Amino acid sequence: MLGVGLLGFVMLNGGYLVTVLGLAAIYGVFCTGLNLFMGYTGQASFGQSAFAAVGGYGTAILCAGHGWDPVAGLVVSMAIAGLLALVVGYPVMRLRGHYLAMATFALGLIVYELSVEWSGLTQGYMGYAGIPPLGFAGHELGTERAQLGALVAIMLFGVWLAERMKSSRFGRALRAIAGSEPAAMALGIPVSRYKLAAFVVAAVYASAAGSLFAHFIGFISPEVFGVPMVVLSFTMLYLGGIGTIWGPVMGAVIASLLPELFRGLKEMQDIAYSVVLILMLIFVPGGLAGLLRRLARKPT
Amino acid sequence: MTGAQWPTEGPNKDQVKEMYMSLKTTLLATAIALAATAQAARAEDSFKIGSALGLTGYAATGDRNWRDGLQLAADALNAKGGILGRKVEIIVEDNRSQPQDAVVAYRKMLSSDQVNAFDSGCVSAGNMAAASFVARAQVPMLLCSILPQKPEEQAWAFSFLPPPTFEIDARYGYLRDRTQIRKVGLLIDPTPYSQLMKGFATRLAPQYGLEIVAEETYKPDDSDVNVQLGRMNAAGAGAVVKLGQGGSTVTVAKNIRQLGLDKMVLMASTDDGGIFKSASEVLGDRFYFIGSAVQFGDAGPSEKAANADKSNGAAKAAIDAFLTPWVAKYGDRDTGQASRAYDSVMLLAKAATAANSVAGPAIKDAIERVGAYNGAGAVYDFSDKQHVGITKNPYFVGQFVNGRPTVSK
Repeated sequence: MLGVGLLGFVMLNGGYLVTVLGLAAIYGVFCTGLNLFMGYTGQASFGQSAFAAVGGYGTAILCAGHGWDPVAGLVVSMAIAGLLALVVGYPVMRLRGHYLAMATFALGLIVYELSVEWSGLTQGYMGYAGIPPLGFAGHELGTERAQLGALVAIMLFGVWLAERMKSSRFGRALRAIAGSEPAAMALGIPVSRYKLAAFVVAAVYASAAGSLFAHFIGFISPEVFGVPMVVLSFTMLYLGGIGTIWGPVMGAVIASLLPELFRGLKEMQDIAYSVVLILMLIFVPGGLAGLLRRLARKPT
Repeated sequence: MTGAQWPTEGPNKDQVKEMYMSLKTTLLATAIALAATAQAARAEDSFKIGSALGLTGYAATGDRNWRDGLQLAADALNAKGGILGRKVEIIVEDNRSQPQDAVVAYRKMLSSDQVNAFDSGCVSAGNMAAASFVARAQVPMLLCSILPQKPEEQAWAFSFLPPPTFEIDARYGYLRDRTQIRKVGLLIDPTPYSQLMKGFATRLAPQYGLEIVAEETYKPDDSDVNVQLGRMNAAGAGAVVKLGQGGSTVTVAKNIRQLGLDKMVLMASTDDGGIFKSASEVLGDRFYFIGSAVQFGDAGPSEKAANADKSNGAAKAAIDAFLTPWVAKYGDRDTGQASRAYDSVMLLAKAATAANSVAGPAIKDAIERVGAYNGAGAVYDFSDKQHVGITKNPYFVGQFVNGRPTVSK
């Protein structure tokens, strides 16, 4: 209800909060995918920004460079990201713990370097401009509010899909892996294969987020998909509640709105934002979703 | 792990009610505060200049100087009654040197603050990301950075950055005329401005009788460039022409010294004076930099002004007008970017006054008609076909002598 109220308020009032919520919806998609891999499967990935870059640049090249329809660009970029995740993930998913984290972090750095250096394809630090807004079959969503509506709808679809996956056989296998890999293996779950599948699904979500970002902003450059993206998405995930359906979305919205709440503090803005984040992580360790779950629990 | 941190019993009814009310109150307060932020500063009687700056992140050094130059100009204008009788208000938003944050900052200044013009810092990607919707809103953008890529975006943007070729001309001219060095190595970072310079550096070298014997790349945050310098030395480079800004200049100076390359000189890009001073302390008279007249000499405004073209009284007056309050407020701090920021606001004021309007399209047209404008940092000459304002090379090659930046003779 609160989310609907906030969306309605922003839609009615317009202004730059439309941009803020639009970016929150994009990060909501990104974090929902990351949550499948980190929250449900219990694995660490510091390299999802690589797949967002694939989506962003795929969309930019196909739509701005070759005049493709945004939806076609989005789908093809997702397929490329999924394929890349499959190829890279096959050897990498045999790693565990810190080694897996380091390998995925390296993947993020490699793709970042490629986006900087392969300027013939990505235009390097000059960035890719002129990316058209979201649209379908030649009809562009001309206003920011229309784009926000579409982004929220896509995000909700992504959450619905994640919810379906969570309650499926696939989701139960992922949660078993998160609990104990040896135990999951003993139950006959092909651990590496399921980890790889979760990695691919998360990559597809990340790619979609990258594409949506490119359409929403109309410009991308390597900085967009750098380490700050990883840090921000982790913040959102833990703030909202890792391993929950709505946590990533709540985290994305709150982490996007908090800086705006403190914007009036000027140079103290980042400090205030960080203090609030730390306090929330200390006093709401299960994230906002965890807090709401506690509130909803029947009193004894 | 998390299980141990959770209470084994749920909260009682009163606690739940209290927590719910607290959450509700917090969310209500948040909504009110956000609404207040979105509606903030709608005063009609001021001339608002919005500035998206990298006050944190890689662009912080330069963009903080840009901010202070803007404010200095606003103070000077306000002391004389503002622009068209309106108080000049500089609205600064930190883009954290990131395009995404720049977009939010630009949108906020457009919709909530309803700025009359933008005058933003050197984060090219941030300015480029915002350029399309700023152009659609028909608000002029005065920029420390290079221009955006699309012609329809360039129509609303005005660059106060000297064209990259001027940096190359100044350094190559010095090597040709004042040294025996004919073999040069280029050390290039991947930023848009450096990439533009690289093209000129390669093309212009033969015209100055120079040979590029090595082209090496580095990242602004590299902790050393020993390998690149070693390759340049092996190729016979007598000078390293660095194409890129930031603390990496000091790193290069240190590496040249550590490798014992006693005959190699370093020629740095335009940058902050503090960086030049640090690099000079490492390499001494083998370190050269480029800067505009306003950056040289520290005996006082008049001496700095005297470095400018002496035949141009207007330039000298402009430097004095900027330096006197700058030195009074900030002392020895570098003036390179701040002077151009100051000039940009002054030129904007001149255009708005000429147009007798604060509307974006009128100001844009007026900027294109101002003609040659003598500023503290350079001479600017915008027109409808020329949106890079600096058309005359403002750079001198300098060195630190007795701890002071001095034009190298």
